[in-house]
Amino acid sequence: MDYLARKYLRPRKIPSTACSGCGLGINHKAVVQAIYELGLEVEDVVWGTSIGCAGRQTFGTWKGDGFAGTHGRVYAIARGLRLALPPEKKIILTVGDGDAFGIGLLHLIHAARCNADLTVIVNDNLGYMSTGGQYGWTTPYGSKTDSSPYGMFEQNLMSEGMDVLNILRYAGATFLARHVSMDGYRVVESIKKGIQNRGFSLIHIIYPCPTNFGSRELGTRSPLKIYKWIESKAAPLGEEKEETLWATGIYYDASNSRPEFSETIRKNIERIRRSTAA
Amino acid sequence: MKRYLETGNFAITEGAILAGCRFFAGYPITPATEIAEAMSRRLPQVGGIYLQGEDECAALHLCIGASLGGYKAMTATSGPGYILYADPYGWAIGCEIPLVILNSGRVGPVSGITGAPGQGEFYLTRYPTQGGNYETIVLAPNSAQEAMAITVEAFYLSERFRTPVTVLADQLITDGFEDISVPENEDEMKDMGFRIWPRKINRGPNFYPPTDEIDIPPVVLGHNTGALCSDWTPTEEGYDIEEVEAHHKHAHRLIYKIRNHRELFSHLHEKKFMDDDPDLIVVSYGTPSRVVNTAVARARQEGLKVGALRLINLWPFPDEHFQKRNKYLVVELNWDGQLVREVQRAAGKDSEVHFTGCCGELPTVNDLIEIFEKILKGQPLARKGWQLEEW
Repeated sequence: MDYLARKYLRPRKIPSTACSGCGLGINHKAVVQAIYELGLEVEDVVWGTSIGCAGRQTFGTWKGDGFAGTHGRVYAIARGLRLALPPEKKIILTVGDGDAFGIGLLHLIHAARCNADLTVIVNDNLGYMSTGGQYGWTTPYGSKTDSSPYGMFEQNLMSEGMDVLNILRYAGATFLARHVSMDGYRVVESIKKGIQNRGFSLIHIIYPCPTNFGSRELGTRSPLKIYKWIESKAAPLGEEKEETLWATGIYYDASNSRPEFSETIRKNIERIRRSTAA
Repeated sequence: MKRYLETGNFAITEGAILAGCRFFAGYPITPATEIAEAMSRRLPQVGGIYLQGEDECAALHLCIGASLGGYKAMTATSGPGYILYADPYGWAIGCEIPLVILNSGRVGPVSGITGAPGQGEFYLTRYPTQGGNYETIVLAPNSAQEAMAITVEAFYLSERFRTPVTVLADQLITDGFEDISVPENEDEMKDMGFRIWPRKINRGPNFYPPTDEIDIPPVVLGHNTGALCSDWTPTEEGYDIEEVEAHHKHAHRLIYKIRNHRELFSHLHEKKFMDDDPDLIVVSYGTPSRVVNTAVARARQEGLKVGALRLINLWPFPDEHFQKRNKYLVVELNWDGQLVREVQRAAGKDSEVHFTGCCGELPTVNDLIEIFEKILKGQPLARKGWQLEEW
């Protein structure tokens, strides 16, 4: 166990039970690294997760308080919790693509709409991989999965020039970034910015799933193959090539530009309480 | 004490505030909208928070988040919203999160008739979520005044049992205007029988002890207790585990922490004309019980030996009231007969159990007396259109 894990994570849950070659651990470490570099302690963060690979593998790893919500609803739970916790407490959510962009999209949009101070790390393994590998809402067009044996041909949130981050941007999110796991230090920097934004931040990180996505789409469970495949489809924003699926970097940064949700509510309640008491 | 001519929605709101509720998340739905409206007006005055969810599912999840952060939280809805609670309800049961949920019954299925009373969710409130392996607490008031008291009691029980409690009302209770007294201080609250249990914080490390004990403080996040709560089977510390033995322990707690403390519910019923071993016991809950009480009183004047049993605590089901061999008539605001099934089970084969139901409107006193007479004479219940049928 390295020094970060010793400081912040629970030995009972580290290493996780993720498949061998899974890229989730890279993302997980990037989040912990960002927390460390911001000088935050265990008690400064409440860590929430959801259902699926990302949710289950990161649940209970944080040494402090943690929760795993129902599938897709963790954004609503976190919003309620945001109102109950002091503003300096950070709420960090590590969730999956199905959770955030499928079943939870409505709640995610509403969390962005009110600019709730949450840092959402969407760990995207390009579909529903914990259930064996079915296509999701960011699965690249044409990909073979167990539920798209002829190649994924349905429109989704990342096809035909669509981008799920656009939806969130216009819904009111104040910090949005996209990366692939292999972006290394750039991921940590984006997560740090996300945590520092007093408002709704989302960092979308594509990570490799050799066991299910790799085996169906690439015909191999070799971690190296899917790592290289993802890398070949990613390029920094502004340097996109024809085959680029994921332009990486900070997509939108309006940090601290909009009133934050819980602050707004508290301020107004205080105003009403004072005016009605008088 | 302050008196008002107000709705049940008003009474429920005031009851919640007296119980210490400082968080309400709702979603507009007839006939519970006015609770949300009253909360939005009243809560900020006492430093509380009102929020509107993007749907009922979100509303209850918002309440869960707030309760996990230490608030006493509540939501209110009607049938079509109550079914959207299925997802968070299960989570709140499993993670043992105190919450109060009000369901004002209207006429279903689906949207049905929005502005009329119904009792179609007797079983839904018992089984509001997936999976089984739990017991639920459901309380049913029959007036606006009692709705206030029952809301206070629901908060009390939800904290002690650390579980969501459903208050099952109906459209007439929440929408109807009645004479309501609101206590203004602790002494007056005590005089009215209001019990308050403060929110406590579980310091761990065993957040989910495998015991049927109550009064174990709930998980509250943000105090760095290392608390964990999730939708998976928990170990005692809250880690997720896929083991039948661990799940059995957890389920045992969820079932028996409630079943083994029935003494906390035993006072939640009302009996009228029941002292002289009546020939027929009329069983009901909620608004129809008020017609039943009138009909039974009138029947007594006419020499019919009938008694009225009103259930306030619906779940866990109070079997103890049905131990004696007798004739029972169950009066409900539905046509399919729900409570009657449970009465039939509890009363056993030797008892005679009848049902009469209507929906969207109340039965009349005369109709009920006619039915009492027929049952007592051993005559079959005559069909009267679709209103009154033998079950």
